[in-house]
Amino acid sequence: MLTRRGEAALAWLGAWGRAFRFAAGALAAAFTPALYNSATRTVVQKQIYFTAWQILATFTAFAAVLSLVIIQISVSTARDFGLSDYALEVVIRVLVLELLPLLTALFVALRSGAAINTEVALMNINNEIRALEAAGVDPMRFEFMPRVIGGTISVLALTALASLMALVLGYVTVYGLQGSSLPDFGRVMGKVFTIPILLGLWVKCLAFGVAVTVIPIVAGLDAPQKLFFAPIAVLRGMVRLFFVLMLIEVAALALTYI
Amino acid sequence: MERAPVRAPLIKNLGFKVGLLLALTAALALGFFVYVLYVRGVFQETQKLVLVAANAEGVSIGMPLTFSGFPIGRVSRIALTEEGEARIEIRVPVKDARWLRTTSVFTLERPFVGAARIRAFSTNLQDPPLPDGAERRLLVGDAAEAIPQLVERVRKILDNVEAMTAEDSSLNRSLAHVSTITGRMAGEYGVMEGVLGSPENARHVVEALKKAEALLASLNEASRKVDALLAKTDQRVYGPDGVMDQADRSLAQIGTLLEDVRASLKRADAVLTDAQAISGNVRVASDDLGQLRAEIDESVRKVNHLINELNRRWPFAREAEVKLP
Repeated sequence: MLTRRGEAALAWLGAWGRAFRFAAGALAAAFTPALYNSATRTVVQKQIYFTAWQILATFTAFAAVLSLVIIQISVSTARDFGLSDYALEVVIRVLVLELLPLLTALFVALRSGAAINTEVALMNINNEIRALEAAGVDPMRFEFMPRVIGGTISVLALTALASLMALVLGYVTVYGLQGSSLPDFGRVMGKVFTIPILLGLWVKCLAFGVAVTVIPIVAGLDAPQKLFFAPIAVLRGMVRLFFVLMLIEVAALALTYI
Repeated sequence: MERAPVRAPLIKNLGFKVGLLLALTAALALGFFVYVLYVRGVFQETQKLVLVAANAEGVSIGMPLTFSGFPIGRVSRIALTEEGEARIEIRVPVKDARWLRTTSVFTLERPFVGAARIRAFSTNLQDPPLPDGAERRLLVGDAAEAIPQLVERVRKILDNVEAMTAEDSSLNRSLAHVSTITGRMAGEYGVMEGVLGSPENARHVVEALKKAEALLASLNEASRKVDALLAKTDQRVYGPDGVMDQADRSLAQIGTLLEDVRASLKRADAVLTDAQAISGNVRVASDDLGQLRAEIDESVRKVNHLINELNRRWPFAREAEVKLP
């Protein structure tokens, strides 16, 4: 029993270790310009197209509605308590710093992360990866690294667009459709976004993007080469991904507010 | 060995779309970074203002300095001086520094709800402008500091209330007395019992009042009797056939009698004149004298009768007197 537990723990640790090793390898590859060529670029473009461009309208609409609801709740509640001065700050902190990046990561994880996980698991089961290696094609260079780069860029792009929209909606809700309050808005923005906070936000979004692609790939590669293990691999990968996303979010919150 | 491009034509304008998205994202990230630098005042020329306060509680970096409700500066640094006072450095953009004058006053207000506020007040904008790096005292007005005093006063009030409502307090005793009095008032003799203290006293008063009432009734009766008596007297004296009427009639008779007497006397006078003039015929004269004397006797008798009558009818005038001429 104890041995089994210990083995499970070791396996669990091993999986995480492989994930980190793979992430490090993918990032190293991403920052090696020599590895890029037209084929890699095409895969990256396709990944971005499927992950970001295709869901752009849907995701933007979804994020807009959610932002609007949260903005309205915050602004009207703050007004009821006579704290309207702080409403915009609260809205920016909640939406732009925390909620929208996490929401984007979850959205992409649900849509593209699951797809990547399944794809890699099937490739693994079907021995395609070994075949590629045998043929002298580096799967990291042509299959995994482009997906990691494409997924990460997609998460960043979607977060940026959703945040921009939330800021515009927040401005319009608080000040109305007029430009004369831009200095006030700027003051609040200046108060919320110190340089460390802004850099922290970028790092967090980057971490979300990497996690959303790396963890499904590693989970797919971990799958035993039996077809019925494919769903289990996807399940494990997704659970692990959500866990990691939460971990990143909590870590970011702790760094920001403690 | 490299793979051939994978079916690129399947997606139209793939490169353009992805490029657009990438460019947009990069522009947003970069633009946002520059915007944050801008709103944080990195590109603004600022001047320094140092405020010294005994206590910097509630002051945070990035907090605005407001003038007439408009933010004109921002706290950039907070430090503790050698004297243990708080030293608050504020960066004021040069274009906003014109609101600050050498005579400006700075206050720190801490409301019950919400963040503290640093405010600047410039009464005279003609004064010379505040120089860069100027150091001023910060006047602190803390709403929360008033709470202990308020609690102390409320406690005193509560003590008073407690003393007033205690078991043996004068207020309670007064209320007990009021209760006793109103209890008596509710008794048989009402308010009077309340005022006089006991039902016996009240009863005495009531009895006295009853006696007074009886007395008044008998007095009334007596006065009615007196009234009747007076009416009778009036009738007797002044009424028809009363004393006064009879007296009147007697007087009228007296008048008539006196007339008779006078006439008789006149005749006697004439007779006497005749007697003096005619001394010769004594015989005739003596005959006439005899008749005259009879007439005088008659008259005197009538007067006598009248006097008697008067005496009978006029009992009050005892000394009735008729003067004969």
